[in-house]
Amino acid sequence: MLMFNQLETYLYLALVLFAIGLYGVLSRRNLIAVLISVELMLNAASINFMAFNRFLAPHPAVGQVITLFIMAVAAAEAAIALSIIMAVYRKLKSINAEQATELRG
Amino acid sequence: MTEHMASFPVLSCMLLAPVAGILILLFLKEEQGFLVRMVALVSAGISFALAIYTFVGYDKTLGGLQFVEKYPWVKAFGITYFVGVEGMNAPLLLLTGIVIFTGVLTMWELKERVREYFIFQLALVTGVFGVFMSYDMFFFFLFYEIAVVPMYILILIWGSTRKIYAAMKLTLYLMAGSGLIIPGILMLYSSSGLFTFNMLQLHGVAFAPWIQKIAFVFLFLGFGVLAAVWPFHTWSPVGHVAAPTAVSMLHAGVLMKLGSFAILRVAMYLCPAGFQYWAQFMGLLAAVGIVYGVFVGLAQTDLKYVIGYSSVSHMGIVGLGLATGTIDGLNGAVFQMFAHGVMTALFFSAVGYIYDRTHTRDILQLGGMSKIMPVASAFFITAALCGAGVPGMASFWAELLVLVSAVKVFPIRGLLAIASLVIGALFALRVVQNSFFNDPNPKFAHFEDVTPFLALPRMILIGFMIFFGLFPQVMLALIKSSIVPFIQGM
Amino acid sequence: MGSVDCLFSICTAIVTLPLLAFALIMIFTWRQAKISLAISLTCSTISLILAWYLFITVRDVSLAHPIIRQVEWLVSSEGFKIPFGFLLDPVSLLMLVIVATISWLIQVYSIGYMEGDPGFARFYADLSLFGMAMLSLVSANALLQLFISWELVGLASYLLIGFWYEKFSASEAGKKAFVVTRFGDIGFFMGLAFLTIYFGTLDITAVNLAGLKNTMPQWLLTTSSLLIFCGVAGKSAQFPIHVWLPDAMEGPTPVSALLHSATMVAAGVYLITRLFPFFAASPTTCSVILAIATITLLLSSTIGMVARDIKQVWAYSTISQLGFMAMGLAAAGLIGGNFFPGYYHLTTHAAFKALLFLCAGVFIHHFGTNDFFVMSKLGGRTLKIPMITVTIGALALAGIYPFSGFFSKEAIMGVLWSLPSKLWVGFGIFGAFLTAYYTFRVIFVLLFPRPDHHKAWGEYYEVPASAHGHGAAHSHGHGPHGDFSHDDAHAHKDTPPGHQHDEALDPHGHGGEGGHGVPWVMSLPLIVLAGFTLVLGFLQGRLQGYLLGDHHPHELNTTLMVLAVGAALTGIGMAWRDWGAKGATWQGFIRNFPALENFFIKKWYMDDFWRWFLDTVIYGFFSKWFTYNDRRVVDGGVDAVAFSCSGGGRILSFLQTAFLQYNLLFMVLVLAGLGIYLLMGL
Repeated sequence: MLMFNQLETYLYLALVLFAIGLYGVLSRRNLIAVLISVELMLNAASINFMAFNRFLAPHPAVGQVITLFIMAVAAAEAAIALSIIMAVYRKLKSINAEQATELRG
Repeated sequence: MTEHMASFPVLSCMLLAPVAGILILLFLKEEQGFLVRMVALVSAGISFALAIYTFVGYDKTLGGLQFVEKYPWVKAFGITYFVGVEGMNAPLLLLTGIVIFTGVLTMWELKERVREYFIFQLALVTGVFGVFMSYDMFFFFLFYEIAVVPMYILILIWGSTRKIYAAMKLTLYLMAGSGLIIPGILMLYSSSGLFTFNMLQLHGVAFAPWIQKIAFVFLFLGFGVLAAVWPFHTWSPVGHVAAPTAVSMLHAGVLMKLGSFAILRVAMYLCPAGFQYWAQFMGLLAAVGIVYGVFVGLAQTDLKYVIGYSSVSHMGIVGLGLATGTIDGLNGAVFQMFAHGVMTALFFSAVGYIYDRTHTRDILQLGGMSKIMPVASAFFITAALCGAGVPGMASFWAELLVLVSAVKVFPIRGLLAIASLVIGALFALRVVQNSFFNDPNPKFAHFEDVTPFLALPRMILIGFMIFFGLFPQVMLALIKSSIVPFIQGM
Repeated sequence: MGSVDCLFSICTAIVTLPLLAFALIMIFTWRQAKISLAISLTCSTISLILAWYLFITVRDVSLAHPIIRQVEWLVSSEGFKIPFGFLLDPVSLLMLVIVATISWLIQVYSIGYMEGDPGFARFYADLSLFGMAMLSLVSANALLQLFISWELVGLASYLLIGFWYEKFSASEAGKKAFVVTRFGDIGFFMGLAFLTIYFGTLDITAVNLAGLKNTMPQWLLTTSSLLIFCGVAGKSAQFPIHVWLPDAMEGPTPVSALLHSATMVAAGVYLITRLFPFFAASPTTCSVILAIATITLLLSSTIGMVARDIKQVWAYSTISQLGFMAMGLAAAGLIGGNFFPGYYHLTTHAAFKALLFLCAGVFIHHFGTNDFFVMSKLGGRTLKIPMITVTIGALALAGIYPFSGFFSKEAIMGVLWSLPSKLWVGFGIFGAFLTAYYTFRVIFVLLFPRPDHHKAWGEYYEVPASAHGHGAAHSHGHGPHGDFSHDDAHAHKDTPPGHQHDEALDPHGHGGEGGHGVPWVMSLPLIVLAGFTLVLGFLQGRLQGYLLGDHHPHELNTTLMVLAVGAALTGIGMAWRDWGAKGATWQGFIRNFPALENFFIKKWYMDDFWRWFLDTVIYGFFSKWFTYNDRRVVDGGVDAVAFSCSGGGRILSFLQTAFLQYNLLFMVLVLAGLGIYLLMGL
């Protein structure tokens, strides 16, 4: 049953989010969709951190601090990723991952 | 083996004279053609003179290693700079000196990029000198690599027929050989327990038989590639044809001896049990090489290909001598290394003169050269007669020693090798007849004969060939003085 | 001993002076004819004087007590030492004298014969090289020194046969001689190798002693003597490797006289003499030698009957006489006799055969053709001295009293008679008949040319091509192999290309001094050799005593003498009937058997056989397949390794898809796998 007082619930939640994010990264063709999926995965990881923090080691509140870190890093990474996508768009006129294959050997 | 330290670092000077030449050449300009050539000649000449000095100055009654220089290099790995002279390598140092000196003289007429050519040539010969005089495996291998790498550039830029293919093939093939040598060396290094690369110390270690057998195979095949052991010989004819004249002289004359010498000095010295185990196989490969080389040479139409296959055959004789493992066989093998080196250098030098003028080496096109340039033809004919095993030239004695000891140890292989002497004579004389006798080709009728200056390197080579052909004991006493302890130590 | 050292110096001088001449001429004076001649002739003269000096003064030697003096030339190990030295005993002293004398006479003769030739200096250098090698060969004490000299003699022969190297047939003949004799020499080498390894020494006296005392195991004795005989067969042109000698006539006639009749080809027979106890100890070897020698004797005599080139006739005669000598030696070995008959015939043959060749040379030099029918037409009989001396030589060759050939042939017949089977002496007598026939065919053709209108001239007189100013009949080679077989029916010319111009101006031979007769430098050797031919017969007893140490009273086998002389006279008679008599038809009796005649003209198809062997077996099979193997299999293997490397790389590059998600997927899978592994492990 969904017991909000148990660790497993939040782990399941993080797992489901991570799986959805992973699936998105591996199968979406649109690069921005890939970026969104990556964000999803990062958030899933954050939930995981906080869940463990709350149920197993409440003091100090490391998990929450890490989540803040992750958000900051995610923001920076999104900025960079978006600029790369801009550059790719300028070159290829599309942001379809299947068309970015210059390194093919 | 006792070591007698040198009072004056003769061997290092011999090694570094070409390096000094390179350094000076780096500062010269291409336009100073005469100066460039003189610098190259002088540095080669210094090495040559020092090589003669060590050859003559070696004291046979004293024995052991002389002119020794020993400096620790990298103590943590047991690497020392250890060079010395004994009966086995003195003739080869002399050979290198002769060939580089005459080689520089032979390339006097080179026109393009002379300065760079001599830089690479001198780098090559530094490596060669280093290999012959090193008694530390690390330096041995280091100089070995230095002797191989410049070949690529020399053939690529100054070569002729199919030079791109030949340069790549030769270099990669020899590198593959090195790839086989390294495991062998490291196997011996790590299983000795002494953590030293010093060959004399390693010789005293009794390696386990299985280590010796495996290490011997690696070393024999790896060095055998350079020594043109059948079937790893196919880089040799292609490479010699493509290379410029003096590079062919050095390569066929000296570098191939590096391989055989290394088999003797490293593989047989450090892995005697392995050698005993593989000796029959070595003898078989050598005998096949001898017979094979002469038959294939019979079908060739390019002068340099003929010489290339003749070299394969003669190196087979060296291999056969080494495989016998007897005093006479090893004496003959080392003597043959020297004698064949001089002979091949003479061959290539003679061909070079003709090729520079006629721009063809096709024996069917070159007819009657004896009429047009008798002296230059005489050089080639002399070399051909030496190759056919005529007494009065150095290689006769060497072949005699090797073949008789081969019949003793491997009767069938030895008798086959003797039988191949007929085909050897046939193909040598066939080439001579087609290129130098009969009617002259009118296209080439206007060429002049060789000038005294250009005749000089060839005369030097003939002189050495005939001197040791008439007085072989001079060479043999020296070789014997180190081979006898070598066999006893096995 | 002081005197022995003095002897050693003399011997060394005899051998090394010609070598010095060779070196000096080849390095310094090869463009100056006169100086080279002076150097060569001086050294040759000194060698001659010293050889005669030794022969006359060294008296206290015998076969059992030779004088040996040697130094160690090459010492490789205790088991392998090669000495250089001299063995002086009656056999070698006599041979030294023969070689030195004939060499000197040839050098004198060549002053006239080779005059004006651009390679004059080189010729004398090569003659000196030959002299040195031959003198070293006959005086060698160790078999290895003999082998080395043997090879050097072969080298000199190569240089001299191919002397006019612009001519294809000459260079081809030189190569053929070298390669065919080398073929025999590898047998020689193998025999020496066996002796060194299993007997321990190559000392001639030791080997002979082992043969006498039977201390060598029989298998070793037979094997090594048979192998050494291979070398003899090559050098002395025995069946089946005799094919080089007729072609060797491409060389200048002095060369043919010196090398290919008197000295070099005799070296093989000399070797058997030298090692006579060794050979005699093996009945198998003696039988083999006897058989081969007999075949040689008969084979070459039959070819000599149909040859038109005078040098070819003498060449085949030499081959058959060498066979005859070998028969004598082998038979003596079988019955326990001594080497004297064979060696004595070698001595007399050297004199009269050299004489025959030098006379032929005079005719060739004078008329510019080798074909003796043409010479006859052009007036060969008008040259008095050569005609007389050639007849003397021919009578000696045919074995007619009182010439030397009679005595030596009779000696050999005597040995053959003593064999159990009379078959051999029968062959010998038949051989004598043939010899007389073909010899006097030449003489009678020269002496009695047919009248001008005789129909024989249709067949026999062809205007030599050179008389019209064309070059000599070149047979240009096809490809790199060339053509070994020459058609004997047409005359060869062994005059050098440079002489063609003379013929165009004066078809009757050289103008100037040639027209007045024979220059004295050429007739002097003829007279000297004729003198030897006349005298040597009567020295038989003295020579036998000198060589063997005792005077065997000469038993006269009347039956044999009658048979032998009868055969010779029959041969001369038939030759007279066919070629000399007033009504002679100039058709040989062999014309009655056209198949046989063709067989003989084709030289028993031996040349064709060897040509086939060379082309099909050596070139076509071994060489071709080894080359194919090298290019396709071995080299192909290496190239295949290289190509497979680059090919493999190309295949692996397909993994580089550059799809972003594939890379990510791969990363995830690896991480998952790692995670599972760690979890399972933990």
